[in-house]
Amino acid sequence: MASEKLRVIVFGAHPDDCEYVAAGTGAKWAAKGHAVKFVALTNGDVGHFAMAGGPLARRRAKELAACGKILGLTSVSLDNHDGELMPTLENRKTVVRLIRDWRADIVISHRPNDYHPDHRYTGVLVQDAAYMVTVPFFCSDTPHLAANPLFLYCDDKFQKPAPFSPDIAVAIDDVVEKKLDCFEALESQFYEGGCNATADLVPSDAAGKAARRKQVRDRMRGEFARGERFRKALEKRYGKKAAKVEYAEAFEVCEYGRQPSAEELDKLFPL
Amino acid sequence: MAFRLSPLALLLLVSCATPSSAPSRGGATEGKPAPVARMDGEQDGKLRIIAFGAHPDDCEWAEGGVGAKWAALGHHVKFVSCTNGDIGHWGMAGGPLAKRRAAEIKKCGEILGTEALALDIHDGELMVTMENRRTICRLIREWKADLVISHRPNDYHPDHRYVGVLVMDAAYMVTVPFFCPDTPHLTKNPVFLFSEDEFRRPNPFTPDIAVSVDDVIEKKLAAMEALESQFYEGGCNGGPHLVPDPKDPAAVAARKKQVRGEFEEYFSGPTTRHRGALGKYYGAEAAGKVRFAEAFEICEYGRRPTPEEILKLFPFFPAK
Repeated sequence: MASEKLRVIVFGAHPDDCEYVAAGTGAKWAAKGHAVKFVALTNGDVGHFAMAGGPLARRRAKELAACGKILGLTSVSLDNHDGELMPTLENRKTVVRLIRDWRADIVISHRPNDYHPDHRYTGVLVQDAAYMVTVPFFCSDTPHLAANPLFLYCDDKFQKPAPFSPDIAVAIDDVVEKKLDCFEALESQFYEGGCNATADLVPSDAAGKAARRKQVRDRMRGEFARGERFRKALEKRYGKKAAKVEYAEAFEVCEYGRQPSAEELDKLFPL
Repeated sequence: MAFRLSPLALLLLVSCATPSSAPSRGGATEGKPAPVARMDGEQDGKLRIIAFGAHPDDCEWAEGGVGAKWAALGHHVKFVSCTNGDIGHWGMAGGPLAKRRAAEIKKCGEILGTEALALDIHDGELMVTMENRRTICRLIREWKADLVISHRPNDYHPDHRYVGVLVMDAAYMVTVPFFCPDTPHLTKNPVFLFSEDEFRRPNPFTPDIAVSVDDVIEKKLAAMEALESQFYEGGCNGGPHLVPDPKDPAAVAARKKQVRGEFEEYFSGPTTRHRGALGKYYGAEAAGKVRFAEAFEICEYGRRPTPEEILKLFPFFPAK
């Protein structure tokens, strides 16, 4: 770390994934003055049942900007087609340059065995950028990092070839409303239901709309009530207070980045 | 090219290895994926199954038995080879071999009651491209599949591994309306299954479902006999020493018997390996009597079937 302030970059596949997996921790870092950037590697342009292409990509970029304001961080998307992210050398270089330009201490991504091909290839691309960010003459147009950052995976529920290991868990009870505000801002994906929904989901009257908003907020509140799931990892950091934690996010240390000691890892994350 | 034979069986089938012929830029077999016969099966209450193998013999090998069982009950089964198999022989290659193998799988289809298709992609050259992802996605959608089967992404041959990756990458995407918007999306993610292999890393095959194929083993063995270029003649690692003089009926019969015997042994392998999984579906006593079986693992990226749904997708098990 060059200064006391951390620099964190999170890669997600689509314009909502970083918010989904790390909005709480991101908001907590941001509140302490750390620099956090969320990057969606695709523009999300097939992520809706009724609209697609450029107009949807622009709409989702705006949704990210609104999330950035809510969380106090930068949230952007790259102009790659949704559903078409491949582990190309060009994409590897893009990811390397983004990590270097951000002078990242911490990099977060999906695991390479998440459910969606774009998620898996985000995981592969970020893994493939680990270490390479330190090689001076790889992408020699962008100053390399002197130290390999800490690389982390966000959680998923897949078991093969290995289940997610919650090496560090963060209580997000104090910022959970901000995280839920993001899901409201990501209207195309949650309120309208994204690519697998239908027009029936969206009510036309004011009462119906309010009820739908509440439904989405309640569902997502339930989704992130992960205190129980990550109780053991929370206990490592919060001791007895862990029992009261309701909302949590957790991360796994990737073997290809810097390997911090347990104490160091604990210090890097906001309580 | 199916070499998931045990080393012993491989030794028996192929007594000396010859280098495979160089890839040929020769002619094509079947061109683009043929338009799917829409047999209105979508509404006929029957299951729709599509299996992807790497080469023109892999589906028959891995799920020929269960394919024949589904077909016998009127369900719709399609076997797709993702390559044309055009270097899968010790003495011939290119377009002529691709055409020969397309004819072989067509014959298998007649024996098993399944549809057969080989994509015109060179053997040994299947890669994980967007073009191939789209092709797989369209084939699954056009078939309106309830169930999709492929290799695991850690099988022995690169073409097998990339079939696994391509099919995994089509899971979920088949439900996204504006991905390949030229082909109507599926409203339900199919169940995706992996066929069996013996590789242990990063994780071994799990026999989530095991099916007795005793009632159709003659059909499966007949299919293996029809895949003449691969088994009777030994495929790319075979050689002329395997092939008797066609004018010597005794020698021809002996070679056929040899191949059949090796397959009988090979297809009994899953039975001993997966006695427990068979017991789950047949009960321990009946499972103990099964001679030939096929086993499948549920892929995490498709729909996750409940135990009841598994029984609907595999309508072969005795009522409990």
